[in-house]
Amino acid sequence: MEGYEDVSPLPLDTGFKDELCQIMYTDEYRMVVGTARALMERREYSERAKELTGRVIDLAPAYYTAWNYRFDILMHLARGNVELLNQELEWIDEVTLNNPKNYQIWSYKEAVLKNHPSPSFKRELPILQLMLDEDTKNYHVWSFRKWCVLFFGDFSHELGYTESLLERDVYNNSAWTHRMFVLKNTSPSHDHVLEEIEYVKGKIELVPQNISVWTYLRGLYENFLNANYDDEIIQFTSTFTHGVEEEDETDVNVEIESSCALEFIAHVYALRGGAMTRKAINAYKGLATKYDPIRKNLWELKISRVTKS
Amino acid sequence: MSTSLESTKHVKFLKRHLLMLPSSQQSHDVNRIAIIFYSIVGLSALGVDCSREYASSIPYIYQHYVKLQIPGYEEVFSGFVGSLATNVSNTSCISLPNTLFALLTLRIMKCDEFFQKTVDRESLGNFIRKCQYPDGSFASVLDMNKPTPSPVDSTDLRFCYIAAAILRLLGCETKEDFEEFIDVDRVIDYMMTKKCDFGGFGDYGETHAGYTSCALCAFQLLHGLDKLDSEFKERTVDWLLHRQVSNSGTVLLQEGKNPYYDPEENGGFQGRENKFADTCYAFWCLNSLKILDENEFNNVCRAGLAQDYLLTKTQNNLIGGFSKNDEDDPDLYHTCLGIAVLQLMNGTFDGIFCIPKQFAP
Repeated sequence: MEGYEDVSPLPLDTGFKDELCQIMYTDEYRMVVGTARALMERREYSERAKELTGRVIDLAPAYYTAWNYRFDILMHLARGNVELLNQELEWIDEVTLNNPKNYQIWSYKEAVLKNHPSPSFKRELPILQLMLDEDTKNYHVWSFRKWCVLFFGDFSHELGYTESLLERDVYNNSAWTHRMFVLKNTSPSHDHVLEEIEYVKGKIELVPQNISVWTYLRGLYENFLNANYDDEIIQFTSTFTHGVEEEDETDVNVEIESSCALEFIAHVYALRGGAMTRKAINAYKGLATKYDPIRKNLWELKISRVTKS
Repeated sequence: MSTSLESTKHVKFLKRHLLMLPSSQQSHDVNRIAIIFYSIVGLSALGVDCSREYASSIPYIYQHYVKLQIPGYEEVFSGFVGSLATNVSNTSCISLPNTLFALLTLRIMKCDEFFQKTVDRESLGNFIRKCQYPDGSFASVLDMNKPTPSPVDSTDLRFCYIAAAILRLLGCETKEDFEEFIDVDRVIDYMMTKKCDFGGFGDYGETHAGYTSCALCAFQLLHGLDKLDSEFKERTVDWLLHRQVSNSGTVLLQEGKNPYYDPEENGGFQGRENKFADTCYAFWCLNSLKILDENEFNNVCRAGLAQDYLLTKTQNNLIGGFSKNDEDDPDLYHTCLGIAVLQLMNGTFDGIFCIPKQFAP
């Protein structure tokens, strides 16, 4: 192979009888992987070795030892050379765009950023944006984003960013949980929490049957308001349940706008207890018989729990 | 549309993956042990006696068990490499997932001899020990030049589970047994930091069914389930049951609005809120549910909707195999987990180790 003439590639064939899942390698794969392993064996820390690990990773992104070796080379070569580390970040971005589902990329990038003398969140934002535009619920990308937010201690872009994503798809659970992550890490003022409740209510009015947003609303009350559900939120919620929680017998002719709202109100009444328990039971009965019958057993379990307490 | 398990076709589908594979599969070369594991699990769960049928390949699997030293260090490590073709003699290429997959494959192959004689418990335990970070979490591979976790690997709940499962297969039963190799309290503390507000486990607060299953299995293996308070367990059961997609009642209002809702997926399980159903999440959700609440698990099984979804929507009755959803082509991973969850619901499968019950410790 050009530039590696002095290296004999390690063979890939095992020659083993009764091998399972034997693979018909391409010549390129044999050459690239064989040569890279030979370099790894002699611990060559050179520009050409680094270049070759890039080709290996292109062919086999899950090759964990190649990632290890590449990082090792980088650490040997970089030694405070910011230019080289920046080039590495650019290389990672390229690999990322070609392998959106590969998760090794993200922990690799975290390692590079941790070893960079002047890492920047601003540098990471465009690729994060691009990746999440492409796949708005990609778990690894969101995790990396949250890692960055904590690593750089910079929460300033996040609420605006989730707003733009929720604008696009109000059902995006990753965006909602990201928002909660931001709030929990930034100790919002009481006023901010109240504003947030108004924001959520707007999103509920837009689409009441959306589990993510009701969970988020409950999260606001639990995390910031001691689960102190006020009458106003009950009133708001009951506009989507058409008050079926008030009726002891479920009227099969009454349609509601959100089973999530009914579950929410049942939870709140169960918490209040006393005379309100009956309303909780009514709500769970409604869910069991008409509004969410697939989870009938769960709703009945909840009725028995509420009745006991 | 078929409503019964097309066993014969699945057996053919799975066996094909153990034969010669085209070059399009070479990117999976490095985790070939995983391909073997998924195929063997699927086959054995369908009643194929793999210990007979693949007996002649046992020495080949043994070859993946590697004992090594890191240059400049005295201590010895051992574990399984994912593939002989990507192994490098003086470099640690062993990984936790490949080690678990190989050990489970050997159990299905009834290689008692391996567990009694061949395996070096001390050096394998040492590998696991050195993958653990002070915060309790694990990387899945070691650094190239030091006996420490690889700096570029992720640490997440999968590896906590895998570490615990491997040690259980090496005979660890009590907490003290595990303590010989890993810091159990710290693993548990680490997993506690991955709890989510409304039940389940995940990174930074977004619950994920796969991570939830890994965490619960690890808690179970390490005798830590009682560390989870009853309210959190209830919330987790709640969360899991809510992952079953439904086409009845008010949830149907999402039709045409929620881009990730499809009433055709009735009975299937999603991995997170507002996502499409997926064959593998039936396994991750139901396995988790079974650990926490056998009764609710049985209720879901009795209702039969999950089975119907898998058999009529994601099972391929032409070429065999299961796909992720009702659109994609079948693949090995979803075939393995599709069969696994159906057998889990039949009571013949061990969800903690993801192998048929008869082979589980």
